Amino acid sequence: MAGSTRVARERIEREARVSGLRDFRTPSLESVERRRKELWTALLVLFLVVAAAMVVISALPSLGRGSSLFSPQVLRVSLLVLAIAFGAYAVEKEHHLQRLSRMLVDERVLTAALSNRLKEISALMTAGQAINSVLELGDVLDIILSSALDLLEGHDGSIMLLEDGAELVAVCVQGNEAARGARVPVGEGIAGRVAVTREPLLVSGTPDPKEFPRVVPRAVPVHSSMCVPLINREEILGVLNVNAAADREFTEYDLRALTLFAEHAAISIANARLYEQERTRVSELLEVNQMKSDFVATVSHELRTPLTSILGGVVTLRRLDMAAEHRAGLLDVIERQGNRLLRLIEQLLTAARLEHEGETSFQDRVDVSALVRAVARDFDGSGRPVQFHVPATCFVLGNSDAIQQVLINLLDNAHKYGAPPVRVTLEPGPTHTVLSVLDAGEGVPRHDRERIFEGFTRLDANGHSPGIGLGLSIVRRLVTACGGTVRVEDSPEKGAAFRVFMLSATREVA
Amino acid sequence: MTRKKVLIVDDDPDILLFLRIDLEAEGFDAVLASDGETALRRIDEEHPDLVLLDVMMPVLDGWAALQAITALPRPPRVIVLSAKSSARDKERGLALGASRYITKPFEVREVVDTIRAVLAESLTP
Repeated sequence: MAGSTRVARERIEREARVSGLRDFRTPSLESVERRRKELWTALLVLFLVVAAAMVVISALPSLGRGSSLFSPQVLRVSLLVLAIAFGAYAVEKEHHLQRLSRMLVDERVLTAALSNRLKEISALMTAGQAINSVLELGDVLDIILSSALDLLEGHDGSIMLLEDGAELVAVCVQGNEAARGARVPVGEGIAGRVAVTREPLLVSGTPDPKEFPRVVPRAVPVHSSMCVPLINREEILGVLNVNAAADREFTEYDLRALTLFAEHAAISIANARLYEQERTRVSELLEVNQMKSDFVATVSHELRTPLTSILGGVVTLRRLDMAAEHRAGLLDVIERQGNRLLRLIEQLLTAARLEHEGETSFQDRVDVSALVRAVARDFDGSGRPVQFHVPATCFVLGNSDAIQQVLINLLDNAHKYGAPPVRVTLEPGPTHTVLSVLDAGEGVPRHDRERIFEGFTRLDANGHSPGIGLGLSIVRRLVTACGGTVRVEDSPEKGAAFRVFMLSATREVA
Repeated sequence: MTRKKVLIVDDDPDILLFLRIDLEAEGFDAVLASDGETALRRIDEEHPDLVLLDVMMPVLDGWAALQAITALPRPPRVIVLSAKSSARDKERGLALGASRYITKPFEVREVVDTIRAVLAESLTP
């Protein structure tokens, strides 16, 4: 009981101190009562003393019978004693009244402080509701800042968030546009200091550049400002700055209100961030899901198309009234489409294997010149001419099958999506050898140049050209496995130029 | 009875080849086109009784070609041959004015029977 009373008294005293009261002591009912009892006791004692004195005087024989009680002498003494007693009583009462009036003044100040607290709490609640009504980080920051400025009648302010743990960036600004995007290293300036100490800071007067180096520049100097940390679960998210208008000076009271507010604001910021992350994740998952559905649709279409020709060709072949040249043509159809089916399945298997195995590394010594000549010959044979310009021999590090697959995929693409003439060039260098596949088509738009190397991506969304969008992702994986890189740029003929950078095999490799 | 003329539109030359052989063996005249634009020109020149139309083609795709064909003053009947097998694609094809929608891979027998059925319908409107 005594403990809780003491705690309550300490809290009230703290309140009074913040409100500007000096030497405030809690008036207790018991002490007032005690004081009253003391007064009455003193009065009673005084009365008894006076009465006793009068009795004694009247009883003294030396004073004579006739003039016993009402002799002028006795009356004078009694009146004097009574006057002194009344005077003492009056002084005591006056003293007491003074104390009471002081207590009343204190009480009034305390009531004002409590009513301010109530206003502050209700403003906090309103701000809290507003902040929680939105989920977007940008909106949350806007509402936090405008609520803080309303709450403290601030002129301008900003919210700076911590980036990479090293720098504070003003992401939300009101009233002082010059500060937008300002960056302050942690430890420097007012904001930087608060981010390190995690203690709210009240700055009166223009900040001293020696004490706070690199303060965010502003048009009109500030004479009173506050900066409080935004902390959620022991993690510092950033700081909240509020600057006073020219005719206002922030107090310790304002600082405490802002600190309290910042505690709630930090939770909202953390929640908004979580929401943002969650939403990004969901949209990523949706995208992956869509890519998978598209992939299944494309693969089944790509597998169906050659099957249609093969099955159709077989049914037609069964006719007995078939001319010999038709028969040969249909057999060609079946063979060609069978091979196409096989290539598709091989691509799918390669993609699956690369996906499953992760990073592999090839270190064989491969003659790319010979590979280019062999692959170009095959392409010529299937009616897709390839011009090439390569040295007699050119050795790189990698794997023969892998590089051959890279070449086939790139040439396939050049014929499918580009336009002839399709050319292959080989430029040996001391460290790297560049293999280029060039065509004279429309080229690849700049913003798609990275995307086309991701799996299941086809720029031709209508699906006019056959393919499942795996070719280039396989190319990139195989080239990476050979220790090289691949990228696409504009060819001199305005088409696409796929450049494969491979490690030159200058020394003999066992 | 005169031989009916069928225009086969597909960007895959192999499909054109065996369908032509089949349709000619079944007593039709076959005309070929490998994209939507060529198809429209061939319709203008040859006035086929029926068009076998693929959907996914370069230059002018099947949907656009189908719209152009049905907008002609005396449009030939159209059968869509497509690897797009979803119900939505099927509805789209029929809504655009196709008489039938056959999904790939198809059976040659099925195509021939469908052609006969559609041509019979057009004789008895």
